[in-house]
Amino acid sequence: MSEPKIPVDLIMKKLAEDSEEVLKTVQKASDVLLGPLDTAISTTPCDIVYEEDRIKVKHYKPKAGVKLKTPLLLVYALINRETMLDLQPGRSAIQNFLDEGVEVYMIDWGYPTRKDKYLTIDDHVNGYMDNVIDFIRERHNISKINLMGICMGGTFSVMYAALHPEKIKNLITTVTPTYFDIDTGLLHIWMKTIDVDRMIDTLGNVPADMMNLGFLILNPARLMIDKYVGFLKNIGNKNFVENFIRMEKWIFDSPDVPGETFRQFITDLYKKNLLIQSKMELGGRRIDLKKITMPLLNFYGKYDHLVPPEACERLTEAVGSNDTQDLCLDTGHIGIYVSSKVQKEFAPRIAKWLKERDKPEKGHSSRKKPVAKATATAKKPSARTSSPKKEKKKTAA
Amino acid sequence: MSENQNEKLYPESLMSFWMKSATDFWKSTDRMWPDATEPFQSEGLKKQFQKLESAPKMWQSFISAFSAPESMNAVFKGVDILPEVVLQTLQSGWGGYSDLQKKWLEKASRMGKQSEAYKFEDIDKDLFKAFAEVYEKEFSQFLNVPQVGLTRFYQERMGQTLDRLNLFEIALSEFMNLLYLPVEKSTKAISETLEEVTKRGELSENFEEYYREWVKILEGHYMVLFKSTEYIQVLNNVLDAGENYFSARNHLIEDILQLFPVATNKDLDELCKEIYLLKKEVKKLSKKVAGLK
Repeated sequence: MSEPKIPVDLIMKKLAEDSEEVLKTVQKASDVLLGPLDTAISTTPCDIVYEEDRIKVKHYKPKAGVKLKTPLLLVYALINRETMLDLQPGRSAIQNFLDEGVEVYMIDWGYPTRKDKYLTIDDHVNGYMDNVIDFIRERHNISKINLMGICMGGTFSVMYAALHPEKIKNLITTVTPTYFDIDTGLLHIWMKTIDVDRMIDTLGNVPADMMNLGFLILNPARLMIDKYVGFLKNIGNKNFVENFIRMEKWIFDSPDVPGETFRQFITDLYKKNLLIQSKMELGGRRIDLKKITMPLLNFYGKYDHLVPPEACERLTEAVGSNDTQDLCLDTGHIGIYVSSKVQKEFAPRIAKWLKERDKPEKGHSSRKKPVAKATATAKKPSARTSSPKKEKKKTAA
Repeated sequence: MSENQNEKLYPESLMSFWMKSATDFWKSTDRMWPDATEPFQSEGLKKQFQKLESAPKMWQSFISAFSAPESMNAVFKGVDILPEVVLQTLQSGWGGYSDLQKKWLEKASRMGKQSEAYKFEDIDKDLFKAFAEVYEKEFSQFLNVPQVGLTRFYQERMGQTLDRLNLFEIALSEFMNLLYLPVEKSTKAISETLEEVTKRGELSENFEEYYREWVKILEGHYMVLFKSTEYIQVLNNVLDAGENYFSARNHLIEDILQLFPVATNKDLDELCKEIYLLKKEVKKLSKKVAGLK
């Protein structure tokens, strides 16, 4: 077969014709890039109300007043940063929650360093998360809070809710992998074969750049080529450039992942798929998913290439709750939080679901304690409220 | 001091004397091999012994090149021209490289012809295999020569680090080549499309259409590649090679840091672990105390 002949002459002719247009774009680009740009991320005002080691807890209070009695704690993944939930005005899940009158707390996991390499999942779930949740319960004088986990943070939240069901009123999981024995997601395929022990023994913490490269390689055509072609095409559009730079800032602002946590996550979950079988252990305690008896709302993206729907949708069947709902959105992994279209329904839907389940607590002590900025102390769990009527739904949006 | 004594102390004479002793040693060792292999009748073991036999021969050729007067002069009196010894030592390496170059040329001439769309079983693995073989046969052995003396451990680690860096680079090249394959395949596919539409006179004015099509094809190729066992194998190879290199490099850095009044990686890791365990215990006790209150 002969080599294909590319009509180079025609391409060159077209390029020459376009040159005037290119010159205009270059002029516009220089105006935009050299002029003032607003590329700040995570700008919604908040207070840091709790600090422990490298972690911080951000507190966001609705300006127009709190409409929900129970505050919501957001737990982000250890990969990338929680700033994604507050990327920019108009595309901020946090702002949307505040508009709905939801009081929000959010864990900022910070940047793990060498001293954090020995931290396990147990330290994150039964350590930091438990301390933060106790702190919020104490601060609001309530026995239970609402918990929402994102991606790996969602997996942590599932673990937490199973081990401490008495402290969680409602559980929301978004793009949360809980079933790992699938071959539809590339991460699931690759993670099964890597020698994670050797990797962690050699590297300590998993370097952020290595993780980022891994994510870029999941779809190089789009993430390493087309994305930047799109940027060049729109380089004269100030609004586009600002949004693009914000996203770039978020994507490449990645902390390293604590080595022992990564080791356990890959071994117990990606390789052995223990969580969904209620066989995983943390701190010597088995995680029994049947102990998740609180209402559960499970969001995932139809086009999620990192955590495919198959990795998320089995959770609602595995838990002990009678009030569960699956919501499959027409978007990808990140789109759930940043897509303008999805944003219109994501936070309002969660707020509505929470409001429907925001019953006042019975018999909890009204003793208030001062706000602490140190390790929070655990309180005796209060009596569990009864489960609402049986409600298992599966919704595609 | 007599002229004869002077000669004996002169470095060239000392070197010649040492080399002669070493060669005699290898010669005598060499004579032992036939007897030593007799009890081992299996083919595998025989092959292993044949490999061992080549070691003294290689040493002999190396020594004879080194012992030549012009080489000795070059070594001890400085050189303006490339000495014979270097040429002779590199001869075998060139052989390997010319093979490799041949394979590169073959690969270049096949570019775009051999690769079939959405198939990655026909990856040209030979090129990197050949490169790895040339490296392992002709170069790696020099970096792994047993070291002697007080500083043997340090020299060994330096050699290992260089060796592993080279192996990592080879594995990385293979990985990068694999990542490039979909670009090659998709470019071929889109150029065929362009040729076809040009022949039909239906070439679109808007080249973005073809770019979009190319990206789509490229994405498809990557998806197929990333799920293939070949890719997973190469990915694991590059990770293994990288980890080997980082591990060797860390050992080397550890050696260097020991020369200075600073904490080494090992010291810091031990310290971090102790702090981690202590903090964990303190937090546990704090919770217990708070519970008692």
